Amino acid sequence: MEACIEAHGGLVWSIVLKRVRDRSAAEDLTQEIFTEIWKTSGRYDPSIASESGFVAMIARRRAIDWSRRQQRLPEMESLPDKADFPAPVETPGHAMDRDSLWKALESLPDETRRLFTLHFEQGLTHSEIAESTGLPLGSVKTRLRRGLLEARALLGRLGERLNLNPGPPP
Amino acid sequence: MNVEDRWTRFEELDAGRVLGDLDAAELAEWQELSRDFGSDDALDQLAAEVEAVMILEKPLVLPPAVAARLKREFAPTPSSKSTGKIVIGPWLGWAVAACLLGLLVVSRLNFSQTPTAEQRRSLLVEKSADSRRLPFAPASDSYAAAQGEVVWSDSRQEGYMTLSNIPANDPARRQYQLWIVDPSRDEIPVDGGVFDIPAGSGPVVIPIQAKLAVKNPAAFVITLEQPGGVVKSKQEVVVALAKS
Repeated sequence: MEACIEAHGGLVWSIVLKRVRDRSAAEDLTQEIFTEIWKTSGRYDPSIASESGFVAMIARRRAIDWSRRQQRLPEMESLPDKADFPAPVETPGHAMDRDSLWKALESLPDETRRLFTLHFEQGLTHSEIAESTGLPLGSVKTRLRRGLLEARALLGRLGERLNLNPGPPP
Repeated sequence: MNVEDRWTRFEELDAGRVLGDLDAAELAEWQELSRDFGSDDALDQLAAEVEAVMILEKPLVLPPAVAARLKREFAPTPSSKSTGKIVIGPWLGWAVAACLLGLLVVSRLNFSQTPTAEQRRSLLVEKSADSRRLPFAPASDSYAAAQGEVVWSDSRQEGYMTLSNIPANDPARRQYQLWIVDPSRDEIPVDGGVFDIPAGSGPVVIPIQAKLAVKNPAAFVITLEQPGGVVKSKQEVVVALAKS
C-alpha cells in the first residue's frame, strides 16, 4: 500500500483538493479514498483501465459524493468489493492508451476542450465555469455532458478497448 | 418518447451522473431509464482517465505529513520483540499461525490481495473500540428463520452483516437492501446498500455501504426491493431488524 500511496498520492490529492478546497476535509477524504482503493483493489483489471484511471475513478466518485453530501443530494454507489478476486501484480494499464486519449481530446471542438480543461484539470464547478466563460449555466452542463459522450465516440473510432459505444437494446 | 429518444436522454443523464451534476429530478429520471438500459462503469472510467491524464501533466504533491499519516494508517501492526529463549515444540503451531498472519499483512502491503469481507469484519471487531454488535431478528412470518448480526463502528463508518437462513434472491427480480435508522441525524433511514443472498450458501458476510455518514444508529432494517434498490423504501417486505 505504501507503493500505491507513493505512486498515486499526488493524483488523489489533486482530485480531492480542487473539489473539496478545505484542507482538513481533503485530508480525511484522501484517507477514505485510499481505504476504498485498499478494499476494492481486487477489482482492478489492467485490461480495462490504467492503474491511474482506476485510482482516479474511485477518487472522483468519493469527491463527487462529498460535494453531493454538502448539498444533501443522493450519492453514487461504491464500487463493489471483490475481495476473493486477487488483483494482478502492479503492471501498467493497457486498456486506455494515453496517446489515443490525447488524440481524442485534441479532436474535440475548441470550446469543449476549454470546458474540459476548466472542469477536469482545474476542478471548477459548473457555476464557476459559467462565470469564467460567460456561458449560461445550462449550456455549460449540456456541453460538458455532450463533450464526454463525444470523447467516448472518438475513442471508440480509434479502437480503444473499453466498451465505449454501447447502443440501446434492440 | 421512442426507444432511440429514451436512449439519447439516458446517455445525456448518464454523462451528467458521471460528471456529478444531476439534480434530484434528473437523478430520479436516470434511475427510471437505467432500469431499461442498465448502467456500467465505462463512462465513469473514461471521465477518470481524462481527469488522470490531464492532472498527471502537472499533479499536486501529496503533502509529506499527509503521506506519512496514510502510510502509518496502512502499515502492518508491529510484531512483538523476542525477549527470551524460544522452546520450539509447544510453540510450533503458534509460530506457523504467526507466519501465516505475516503473509497476510505482507500481501496487503503488496496491493496484490485484499482480505475477504469476513476477515475485514473480524479486524473491525478486534481493532475498533467503538464497534457494536446487534443481533438480527425476523421481521415477518415469511422470514421467521432469518438469523444474524450486524457489526458497526461509528468512528470508522464501517460495518458488516452476518446473515443466515435468508432465502436466495433472483437479482434480476428483487434485491435485498439495508436501511440504517439514525434519529440523531435524520428521520429518514440511510441507505445501507443493496445486496444479494446466493443460493445454497451458509452464513454470508455482507459489507455495509452507508451512503451517508451515520452517527449513532438505533436500528438496521433489511427490506426486499426492486433490482438496484430504491431511494425510499415503502417497507412492503421487511425481512429482518436489529435494534440497539
